[in-house]
Amino acid sequence: MYLYLPVALTSINILIPVGLGLVVGLLSGLFGVGGGFLMTPLLIMFGIPSTVAAATDSTQIVAASTSGTYAHWKVGNVDFKMGFHLLIGGFVGGLLGVQGIKILKVMGNADFVIKMTYVLMLGIVGTYMFIESIQSMRNKKVEESKPEKKSGFSRFLKSLPFQTHYEKSGVTHSALVPIIFGGFVGVLAAVMGVGGGFLMVPVMAYILKMPMHVIVGTSLFQILFNCIEVTFLQAYTNHNVDFILAVLLLLGSTVGAQVGAVFGRKLKGEQLKVILAVIVLVVTVKIIFELTLTPSLFLSQAGGH
Amino acid sequence: MKNFKVLLLMRSLVRRYCMTSSVIAACPQSFLKKNSRQAGMTENVSLLIAIVLFAVLLPLIFAGAAPAELTINANHDYITIDFFYHGRAVGVRGISEPGTDIVIKITSPEGHQALNKKGKAAGFLWMNMGTLKFEHAPNLYFIHSTKKPDEILSAEEMNKYVIGYPSMNKHIEITPVSNDEERTKWFNEFIRYKEASKLYAASSGRIKITNESGRQKYYIQTDWPYQAPPGEYLVTVYAVKDKKVIEKAETKVTVEQAGIVKALSGMAKSNGALYGIISIVAALGAGFGVGMIFGKGGGTH
Repeated sequence: MYLYLPVALTSINILIPVGLGLVVGLLSGLFGVGGGFLMTPLLIMFGIPSTVAAATDSTQIVAASTSGTYAHWKVGNVDFKMGFHLLIGGFVGGLLGVQGIKILKVMGNADFVIKMTYVLMLGIVGTYMFIESIQSMRNKKVEESKPEKKSGFSRFLKSLPFQTHYEKSGVTHSALVPIIFGGFVGVLAAVMGVGGGFLMVPVMAYILKMPMHVIVGTSLFQILFNCIEVTFLQAYTNHNVDFILAVLLLLGSTVGAQVGAVFGRKLKGEQLKVILAVIVLVVTVKIIFELTLTPSLFLSQAGGH
Repeated sequence: MKNFKVLLLMRSLVRRYCMTSSVIAACPQSFLKKNSRQAGMTENVSLLIAIVLFAVLLPLIFAGAAPAELTINANHDYITIDFFYHGRAVGVRGISEPGTDIVIKITSPEGHQALNKKGKAAGFLWMNMGTLKFEHAPNLYFIHSTKKPDEILSAEEMNKYVIGYPSMNKHIEITPVSNDEERTKWFNEFIRYKEASKLYAASSGRIKITNESGRQKYYIQTDWPYQAPPGEYLVTVYAVKDKKVIEKAETKVTVEQAGIVKALSGMAKSNGALYGIISIVAALGAGFGVGMIFGKGGGTH
């Protein structure tokens, strides 16, 4: 059955957005990512204008991350304190990132920088997560010696002021650490035009040393707030949110997020990291193909990346 | 209305004739009497004669206006976009002079379009390399003809009425391009992009022509694409003979949103803040709602 989308000004078979929502919601509940890096290009592929695809995806993520956060919160896997600190950093970083894009656009090579940042970040994060989690799955004993290996960086983090204990995560950090790294992710996310979940998860795993199950819940919590802000701004300033498309997507994604959260509890932290790393690498390869293979059409609608 | 005017004209002619002519036999005797009552009667009689003459001459009048009028009619001249809209089949039909070829053009108003162009960055990476502007380009352009336009029309005529992609190429302004070769390349890409979006189409030989009792009828069924945005579209039919357009007729197709689609689209544009808040609340509600259903269903440990 087809439904007409009043803002996207196109008609779509309802099975497509519901199915996409289900798959991306599943990833969201499993890994704590918004899934914008998958959903937005898929929607564009199915004929949704790029600007509407990005804006509406953020609305859908509000629903999926609410559903996911709720599921993880019920089993005590959301560190609200850490989430708030990351949010503060992410908010400031987002503002800086938007200014950064303006400067890049004036310089005239915004698209090139954006695409390269995207590919490099996806590639580096994917590869690092993949190698690291495979190694730690193979020989768990190595983990004993790990803290000493990174003691220089850890000692630096410990020397920062405003040390505080994050109870749910079971870690002690300076409040500045999540704020600064949250800010860093916020800058990159704004530049790349994505939510940044795939960057935030590794930051929490490798820098903040949080346990994987708390990472997923906490990441979803802060994604929820980011996407509320983005949805409002997109609806208010760009008029690009398609309500019908968002409803179709969230029908799938809210259920998917619940199923993902249930599955996630059955998997070990390392297994989750490996699967996420593989997905990130597959997306990287897809983007590299897109960049190097001759496109079928040389013109596209102006307004999106 | 037209016939009524002819009748009035004939009545005045009959009256004038009676006033000036000496052919008494053709005029009533009462004409010679001079009182006003009789003058009123004269008026009535002249009307009567005019009616009789009109009835007798009627077939001749129409036979005299013989040149077959070109007509056009679209079976859907008002398309409403509702919740379940997925495009429409639009039939265009009409009558034309026997022996003429037919060209049917459907266009949206001409406008300005900006599109991203892809190019190679650093020699091997395909990405957006700036914007191209297309002026005087309609968003939608369908051209259907009985034979290929360049076989039935001269180049001048095609350019004059913007019939066919080659004439569209001359009509559209593309900026920035450095030379003709580059311009042609981007024009061809523009057509490919528009055809892929279902907004441009060209065909020849799809118009059905039938001849019935000396009249030529034409008909074509086109798929009105759901990608065509709301607006007013002009449907023009050209009757073509001896490489020239001899007649043209027009009709309009209006595409308008209705019901929920119209309400949501209007709200998104005119009340973005409220629309955004409703979207967020709906998303939060759906997220919590599904979360609670699953929670009760034993989704947690």
